Amino acid sequence: MALGGYANRVAHVDLTAGTVEYRGIPEDWARKYVGARGLGVRYMLENGPQVDPLSPDNLLCFMNGPLTGTEANMSGRMAIVTKSPLTGTVTDSHHGGWSAARLRWAGFDGLLVKGKASGPVYLYVHDGIVEIMDASEVWGKGVHDTVKFFRERYGEKDLSVIAIGPAGENLVKFACWVNENDRASGRGGTGCVGGSKLLKAVVIKSAKKMPKAANLDAWKPAQKRALATIMDERNITSPRKGGLSVYGTNVLMNITSAMGALPTKNSTITSFGPSAEKISGEYVKEHILVDDPTCHACPVACKKEVEIKEGPWKGLRMESVEYEPAWSLGANCGNDDINTVAKLIDMCNDYGMDAIELGHPLSIYMEATERGYTNGAGGLAWGDTMAMVEMARKIAMREGIGNVMADGAEATARYFGHPELAMTVKGQGVPAYDPRGLKGMGIAYATSNRGACHLRAYTPAAELGVMPFGSLKVDPLAWKGKGELVKIFQDVHAFSDSLDLCKFSAFAESAEEYAAQYAAMVGVECTAEDVLKIGERIYNLERYYNNLAGFREGSDYLPARFTQEPSTMPGSEGHVCELDEMLAEYYAARGWVNGVVPESKLRELGIID
Amino acid sequence: MQVNFYATLRPIVGGRTVEFDVGEHVTVRQLVGVIVERFPRLRKELLNEDGNLYPHVHVFINGRDAPYLPNGVETVIKPGDTVDIFPAVAGG
Repeated sequence: MALGGYANRVAHVDLTAGTVEYRGIPEDWARKYVGARGLGVRYMLENGPQVDPLSPDNLLCFMNGPLTGTEANMSGRMAIVTKSPLTGTVTDSHHGGWSAARLRWAGFDGLLVKGKASGPVYLYVHDGIVEIMDASEVWGKGVHDTVKFFRERYGEKDLSVIAIGPAGENLVKFACWVNENDRASGRGGTGCVGGSKLLKAVVIKSAKKMPKAANLDAWKPAQKRALATIMDERNITSPRKGGLSVYGTNVLMNITSAMGALPTKNSTITSFGPSAEKISGEYVKEHILVDDPTCHACPVACKKEVEIKEGPWKGLRMESVEYEPAWSLGANCGNDDINTVAKLIDMCNDYGMDAIELGHPLSIYMEATERGYTNGAGGLAWGDTMAMVEMARKIAMREGIGNVMADGAEATARYFGHPELAMTVKGQGVPAYDPRGLKGMGIAYATSNRGACHLRAYTPAAELGVMPFGSLKVDPLAWKGKGELVKIFQDVHAFSDSLDLCKFSAFAESAEEYAAQYAAMVGVECTAEDVLKIGERIYNLERYYNNLAGFREGSDYLPARFTQEPSTMPGSEGHVCELDEMLAEYYAARGWVNGVVPESKLRELGIID
Repeated sequence: MQVNFYATLRPIVGGRTVEFDVGEHVTVRQLVGVIVERFPRLRKELLNEDGNLYPHVHVFINGRDAPYLPNGVETVIKPGDTVDIFPAVAGG
């Protein structure tokens, strides 16, 4: 391959046959889809969009981008790409830490895993080779014990372990892969696919071997300029000064609640009132914070490690109390006990479950209980902390009603006879922004290619005015222009997810910084305009996959609660989300016909010949 | 009048809620002036060189960012209104 930067080595693992082949990346694909998310989806398309997510034929991709593991800031990201058992769409879910960098240093751009092993296995990745190894000794163990086991076997130095826990083994539909104890590729049920293949872990051993840029003269200034934006005190990424660095992502809890944009008690209301403070980043820092860990090449250190100081889980030390799970297992469930929030997140990390998704079956059960819909199935009260902990265990182990809830929000709501209680899009639960108070999130959720998601188009950056250097601020309650805004965010994020840089880089870096770093590392010409075009191609590629998988007209929607039940809380009182208006604007900007990519668009973007 | 502060503003004002002695009919702009006078370190956190609020700073009156209110920062704050002031915050 003529492109620099890449290892140009992908391991094709067939667990059924027990074989590993090593191939380069098709150069045309690398040029068109970059890496990580984009390239992973291209491999998924090649594998066929009709595949049953839990059949051996599904492909499970561990993908790096051309900037992964380099000196580029926030480049410790890996995308896990597969067809989701939760949504039926293609999905990609990213994690931080060091595993992505180590995969690159071990000589790989990605691992593509197909088939199903005859017994539990793990992949041992080192020195440019992948070995399929027996995992019988760790099958049944939690993520934390699995990591410990491999650290004892291979030594802690230069080692990363990405593992599934019992939830993945038990095929919980929202099971996830967890890296190095606490960094989850949370969304979409990628861990469930791992469990279906009897793949317990990917163990990577590699010392630092920083990839060299193809254009070294251009690389240094490009990397330096990007770093300067992150360090700048005007941006929230500024180390030990910006809100993201000091308080972590959970710095959001109070503001979304204050503005009526925090989905509370299964989105029946849009604010947690004074209780928001008790689960906020400010509260965490004041009461239980003990450390600020970080990831490869990141000066921001947004992770927040805590130690519980009282109550039934006293002494538990865990990371990281993030905004999303603090909302999902806190406000969403009427729970304002931060210790229980931390305990539940730690359980999710150990069982290997998406902490965002877990809150949905719990809050549906709680609302069903309150409304008398449980039909003798017992009950779960809002904020019943001990019962939540026990229910999380039952879901991971598929015990009792937990067996129903393990199939996700929609299955839980159907079980109670009230599908309208599921706050989902394409089967995936909404994250922590109520689209009645942040309208851009409404169109972002509806049109996300992996089901409801805040990370496909992070419009709060514009709606809260934290774009790089305050470059854009728009009214969170206005809908006009949001369709076009979401398209731009989706395209830029699709590119950065393919590099693969942390999404938070977008609070400091613009498309110009992405373009300059990519161009220098790979050795191509690239402008900000090219970034948008490549991102658009990747977004359309995903949509094309989903269209072929059966997601056609009418697949972009929101739960009726957001479009028909006005907010009753200050900041957004009286507002619903005007989805239809924004969808029309969005489809016009995309050139799609009711959510379907026309053939002419596929040709224009070079997705088909 | 009680004003709630958040995130990196709290260490500067020394807590979550601070009482300010302002007369009736005070506008958002006037309140911010009183606040930065009492806490001079807040000036560079809240105001740009022209003395206007930074776009990333939020002064909420009952949950609505002041610039989006019909009278913007000239809105008169009523007794009982909730006032929250946030620096730049995001994550997700």
